[in-house]
Amino acid sequence: MAVAKTQRDYFPYLLLVPASAVMLAIVAYPLYETFRLSFTNTSMSPNFEYVGFENYEKIMSKRFPEVIARTFYWMSLSVALKMLIGTLGAVLLNAAVPGRALFRVLVMPPWVIPIAIGVFIWGWMYNGQFGMISGMAQRIGILDAPFEFLAYKNSAFFATIVTDVWIGVPMVTLYLLAAMQSIPKDLYEAAWVDGASRMYRFRRITLPLIIPSIATMALLSAIATFNSFDIIWILTEGGPRNATTTMIIDTYKTAISRFKYGEGAARTVMICLFLGTFTLVYFMLLNRLAKRSPHNAK
Amino acid sequence: MKLKSLLLGGVFALAIAGSASAEDKRLHMIVCGDNTGAGIPLQTEVINQWEAANAGYKVDVEFVPWGQCQEKSTTLASAGNPPAIAYMGSRTLKQLAKNDLIIPVDMTEEEKATYAPPILGTITADGKQWGLPRAFSTKALYWNKDLFAKAGLDPENPPKTWDEMYEAAKAIKEKTDADGVGLAAASFDNTMHQFLNYLYSNGGEVINADGEITFNSPNTVEAVAFYGKLATVSQPGPVAYDRAKLRPLFTEGRIGMFISGPWERAQVGDVNWGVTRVPAGPNGKHGTLLITDSLAVFKGSGVEEQALSLGKLLTNPENQVAFELGEGFTPLRDMPQVRELAAKDPTWAPFLEAIPDGGPEPFVTDYVGMQDAINEALQAVVLGEMEAAEAVEIAAEALEAVK
Repeated sequence: MAVAKTQRDYFPYLLLVPASAVMLAIVAYPLYETFRLSFTNTSMSPNFEYVGFENYEKIMSKRFPEVIARTFYWMSLSVALKMLIGTLGAVLLNAAVPGRALFRVLVMPPWVIPIAIGVFIWGWMYNGQFGMISGMAQRIGILDAPFEFLAYKNSAFFATIVTDVWIGVPMVTLYLLAAMQSIPKDLYEAAWVDGASRMYRFRRITLPLIIPSIATMALLSAIATFNSFDIIWILTEGGPRNATTTMIIDTYKTAISRFKYGEGAARTVMICLFLGTFTLVYFMLLNRLAKRSPHNAK
Repeated sequence: MKLKSLLLGGVFALAIAGSASAEDKRLHMIVCGDNTGAGIPLQTEVINQWEAANAGYKVDVEFVPWGQCQEKSTTLASAGNPPAIAYMGSRTLKQLAKNDLIIPVDMTEEEKATYAPPILGTITADGKQWGLPRAFSTKALYWNKDLFAKAGLDPENPPKTWDEMYEAAKAIKEKTDADGVGLAAASFDNTMHQFLNYLYSNGGEVINADGEITFNSPNTVEAVAFYGKLATVSQPGPVAYDRAKLRPLFTEGRIGMFISGPWERAQVGDVNWGVTRVPAGPNGKHGTLLITDSLAVFKGSGVEEQALSLGKLLTNPENQVAFELGEGFTPLRDMPQVRELAAKDPTWAPFLEAIPDGGPEPFVTDYVGMQDAINEALQAVVLGEMEAAEAVEIAAEALEAVK
């Protein structure tokens, strides 16, 4: 009996061993190595020295604070637009209109097309001489000469956001559409019988019930946007004059292009800290919101 | 019994094959680009010759696309698993040498004498040569003769000075539907390359032979200011353009001039074009940027001596010139075949004549850092956010950290 009890006690932990081993190997160990590397002056040479907090002091004293602010601004604008357009798209796709299935398929391409190809297409669209946007704007009289969207700080900044939104909206739309479709139909029928308008039903039934999905999607989208690399790199490589250099672009340039692995690791640790803190605060706010919600389970 | 014999025979054959290949030492060679160039079969032939002469050594050639090529070799070397020999931009050699990742190639005086001094300058740091030049380019000014004629300019008389270049570009911009000149100012390496053509045509430099930053000089300020001035007669938004994006503008007749390498001769299409030396600045003569790519021998592969001997065989005058003519590169050495080529096709002349007046890619220990500093200065002036003198001063300070 004693043997059986021991087996019963340890068996669940044994089951966790493979997953834990994998997590240790592919998450914990690389994180530990990155953290260790951030306190060294590792560069191209295999020889390195521990330099304490020098890498952190160096990045905080340079233009990194500006990069941090730009990253949050870029991320906030992009995520807000994705959530707004995505929610609107989900509502429209959820409406009982003819050909709904076709529209649901048509929303997919930005997500399905490989990102690099999509971004290259956008790069050409932003071109002043051959691009569609400048060409159309000239034809309808908005512009009187070709305009290079990626040549100026502000236009390049917003152009990268537009492309990021284009790529990110389908995922938000489909996720929220799935959330809307899980709402029991009888709630709408009861409200309809009581004379509730379409807007009222959306405000009092749909929105409260998909709030957790919106919150989860916003968090996932924020993390993905924060770490968005390929869109900016392909369109502007962080230019002009660093106007589109976000933390991830700055980290890549430092660690990979300039082979400053130690400084790059310090930047990576900063990114982990920012995203960790952001997620924590976000979930705390979400929990507080959930407790206040009238739909909170009693 | 029959099956047993077959199995034993198979095992024996595999053992022999295994022991034979185990005896061969492998030389991992990384080549940038793909294997479609007409020079590649010639390279393979030379490698086969080398293998025949060096029994027990085999060369494993790996082709890596340009975008990842140098990063791959460097990362492998940093991780302690270097390729034996790899194709690298010569600009990276000083950084690799400083980090003790490559070995000097120990050229004899006779070998050095086969190169023009400015070419030797692209691979020399601290008095040693760190790579074997493998590919080379100079730059010249292409002009559209039809647009010159439309603008009332002499189509057979290209600009020779910066003033003439600006006036020609202005005339084209004002009198035709095209822009005067194609200008590259994107956050990309060839923006700095394009600018260095102007800097070297005005007697400026980034770093001197003693390793001191000499960027902050009146010559540089003039060159940066001229770059900014050209932006007023160039295609709109030069900050969105790297050099490669200028060619479509030239082939479509949308720009009157642009600076590029000899490869454009085959790619500018139906345009009625000419090519001439880069116009001279007020304080210089017709210069050009000399870019070489080299074969670098990495330290720690265990076959350094063999890799060096392979590199020297591949780049000796006869094999190198055959490779260059196959690939369409500017020839590195003054050989009879090269003189024959220039006589047959005069459009080669501006590229070959420029060699003695050219300057190398600056040798620093953080090449990308240098590129970012110079590109930012150019962008600041092109966007009208800064005066040239201020931009040069800031860039020079940044360059001190990367020399």
